[in-house]
This record gives sequence, C-alpha cells and structure tokens, in this order.
Amino acid sequence: MAETAAEIADLLARCALRDRAAFKTLYGRTSAKLYGVTLRILRDRSEADEALQEVYVKIWQRADKYVPGGYSPISWLVAVARNHSLDVLRARKPQGEDIDLALDVADAGPNPEQAEAARGERSRIDNCLGQLDEEKADAVRGAYLDGYSYEELATRHKVPLNTMRTWLRRSLMKLRECLSA
Amino acid sequence: MSDESDISGMGEDSVLAAEYALGLLSADEHARAAARLRAEPALRSDLRFWQGRLASLDDGFAETAPPPAAWTALEGRLFAERRAPWWDSLMLWRSFAGVTAAIALVAIMINVMAPAPDPNAFAAQLVAALSAQGSNVQVVALYNAQSGEVRLTALSGDKVPDKDYQLWAIQGDAAPKSLGLIKIDARNDVKLPADVLAAFGPGTTLAISLEPLGGSPKATPTGPVVAVGKATAI
Repeated sequence: MAETAAEIADLLARCALRDRAAFKTLYGRTSAKLYGVTLRILRDRSEADEALQEVYVKIWQRADKYVPGGYSPISWLVAVARNHSLDVLRARKPQGEDIDLALDVADAGPNPEQAEAARGERSRIDNCLGQLDEEKADAVRGAYLDGYSYEELATRHKVPLNTMRTWLRRSLMKLRECLSA
Repeated sequence: MSDESDISGMGEDSVLAAEYALGLLSADEHARAAARLRAEPALRSDLRFWQGRLASLDDGFAETAPPPAAWTALEGRLFAERRAPWWDSLMLWRSFAGVTAAIALVAIMINVMAPAPDPNAFAAQLVAALSAQGSNVQVVALYNAQSGEVRLTALSGDKVPDKDYQLWAIQGDAAPKSLGLIKIDARNDVKLPADVLAAFGPGTTLAISLEPLGGSPKATPTGPVVAVGKATAI
C-alpha cells in the first residue's frame, strides 16, 4: 500500500512536469477508484462520466499542487473527485472556487507525522463512529460517501430538517472528541 | 443541557468545518463557509483535521472501471483540441538530444548551486535553474527586483557554430516573449521589458532555445529548447 502511494506520488510529480505518459499511467491506476467516487455520489452514468473527465483535467492542471509527504496521494485524488462531485450536486454546475479552496486546503494538509498516524485512522474512525447511534453513524457515512446533504438525510430518515441538523451536529462534536483523544 | 449549548462556543467552528468537509450544507451555506475558510486560518486547520480523519472512509468507494471511451475523450480534450504550447512536452525536448551528447539533469539544490550574489548590488529574490533533458546547457537565473534584471550564469553549455542562444519568458498561457540573445560563455544581465516585468514572479518560466544567428526569425522560438526552468522565490 505504501509502495502504491509512493508510485502514485511519483506519477503526480511527473504530471506536474507535463509528462503525458505518466498521466496515462496515473489514469490507468486510479480511474476506477475515482469513477467509483463520481458514480456513487452523482448516481448517474453520464454525469459521472463527465465529472470524471473534469476531475482528470483538474488533476493534470493541478498536479503541482500535490505536496509529497503530506496528504496521501490517493486521498488527495479522491478529495479532488469527491469535491468536484459535491459541487455538481450542489449547483448542478461546477463551482471553481470551491474546488480551489478544497485543493489549497489539501495542500496544507497533514504533515508527515500526521500522515504516519493516518495509517491507524481507518480503524480509529470506525471505532469512533461505532460509539455513535447506528442511525447517526450511517448519516455521517452517507454524507461522506453518498454526498447526502442535511436536506436529503432529513428526508431519508423522515425527520424535520432542524432535528437532523441538531442530531448530526451533536454527533459531530462527539466524533471530534473521540477522534482527538 | 440544551441543544444550543451543545453546538455553541468553542466547538461550533469545528462542527462547521465538519459540515463543510462532509458536504452537508446547502449551496448558500457552503459558499458562506468557503468565504470564512478563506479568511480564517484556524477554521482551515479544523477543516484539515476533518479531511484527514474522514479520508479513512475512502475505502467505502468501490472501484468501478470507467468506459474505455472516457480515456479517449479525456486525451482528446487535453492534448488534441488545442495545440499544446511548444514547451509543454518532454518528448519534444528529448527529441532534440542531438544538440549535445551529454545528458544533464540539474540537481535542484538551487541555493547551493547559485553563485554567491555580488554583495554590492545584486539582491536576488527569485531564482530559476534552467536545464532540459538531452541538453548539457545548465543555467542559473537570478532576478533582481530592484534593477528589474535577470542575471544568467551558465554552469555548462557549449557554443554552437552558426547558432545563437535566445532567452524567453513564458507567463501563464501567453505566447513566449523574447528576452533577447544570450552568451553561453559569459555572464548575462538581461533587462526585462515592461510587459514581462509587470507579471514577473514565482511561476514565470524562463527558457533558452537554440536559434539561427541573430535569433528566431519569428516572434516565438523556432529551434530546440535546450534549457527551461521556473522562477522560485528564495
């Protein structure tokens, strides 16, 4: 896994040098994952296809924004795909500035020690989500993986919007405590 | 304990960062949060916390191979639709390997490589290391904001009979602008023209091409690019 991450980081670095062969390899390695993201969030093949194309245009144009040793390169790519898909959902048209911000923030992402710590994060977040009511943990996962907004979650869980907000905010406070511990 | 006390006070910004990272907010709320994030470093640090932790959920996205046509469309859009800028291809540079035999790769130890600046006058704020694969031309460029000059010092590179080296500046998507001919065996102080100076800064690309005597017959380079580098602040 670490080896793959190093390879992806290397491919990104070569993309930043405008190496098209590296871009093609990067696409071959990562497009199934990123298509999984756009497809799951947008739930429509033609929209997901279009979003995937936009995502890789951004990756080609912004490959130099990835800082090795910070964010895992795969997380960075997933973040580009996820943020773009959410923008499409929110506005049914991409909002460039949000993507800029998302990328800028990712740039300043966790330092190497934090990245090291991130390896244990997977079980950690599962553990912390496990401490929430199942319904609320599902809502957090649904927001992250399916791009559900407060409105959609309220409809799905058949509760008023404000109730959903209050529920989730409390849950996020708990989650933050658990994740910071 | 009321709902309000749970979500007010110190934790509120962190909750907002989480809502933003998860994508829970409506378009309006999201835009407002984005504006605050741009202005507030502490909020950005909250956002990084959440982005880092939530990324552990990425395993939940199942891999699905995109249709083969997706790559073709992407490739067409990025590389065929518009002609790529002339400096945009490593392959192009590689194809001019005949210029000299030696392969030079610059170690980007810019501060070490840069010659000690002349303490009297030359206060360099930007530096670029120029080189290209397939060429032995290596040049360090130092930019002096006070004089608006770029000082070029060649570390290696040979004179080529019946050819001149020409320096170019590339800024954004604009066509390369000539900065004039340079000597490969001497120090060059190049005064930047006003239009280049106006946008000169980190990210400006400097390139050297090999041209017919007297320079490129066109406004843009015609010969092989033997060295290229991006200005970086020091």
